[in-house]
Amino acid sequence: MARSIKKGVYIEEKLYKKVLAAKSSKKREVIKTWSRSSTVIPEMVGLTLAVHNGKKFLPVFVTENMVGLKLGEFSITRNYRGHTSRNK
Amino acid sequence: MARIAGVEVPNNKRVEIGLTYIFGIGRSKSLTILDTVKVDKDKKVKDLSSDDLARIRKFIDDSVMVEGDLKKSISQDIKRLMEINCYRGRRHQRGLPVRGQRTKTNARTRKGPRGSMIKKKK
Repeated sequence: MARSIKKGVYIEEKLYKKVLAAKSSKKREVIKTWSRSSTVIPEMVGLTLAVHNGKKFLPVFVTENMVGLKLGEFSITRNYRGHTSRNK
Repeated sequence: MARIAGVEVPNNKRVEIGLTYIFGIGRSKSLTILDTVKVDKDKKVKDLSSDDLARIRKFIDDSVMVEGDLKKSISQDIKRLMEINCYRGRRHQRGLPVRGQRTKTNARTRKGPRGSMIKKKK
């Protein structure tokens, strides 16, 4: 079920503050975050966030198209290189 | 044979069913359309008056996204997902199920016939 509109989108508070700070200071430094469940908000556009994937932080450059999805969707957690090919 | 929304040619079925031959219109949407333009859903398509047809056409043209437009918007949505490199986009690229279904078994609709995966990658 979708989240109720009354509550607004979910974003971790600390991250939100950092995003606002980064936006106003115009310093384009990478913000590290573990909060994969946070929503990508319009304020993040143009920033680079380092989203934890359980092992390391993957850089995510936020563009306009990404707004509304969750951060975790851009930081893949699985490492699948395919099955070994059967050589004849 | 009536032409509604471009090339569609529903035959001598009831309008309710005839409309579903148009891509983007199913039973549910078909009923809402007929309800709003006040056409009896049990009428056969061939029995429709030209006025009925005109009203249906107008309504579909104005407020229902069908056929080419709909297909275009769907493929654009998918392309957008693939471009932003998100999880759903990756699943589309790989031709795997997008909504979290299991892939250990099944998922044949997305993956195609068994054993064809190697061919697909090339």
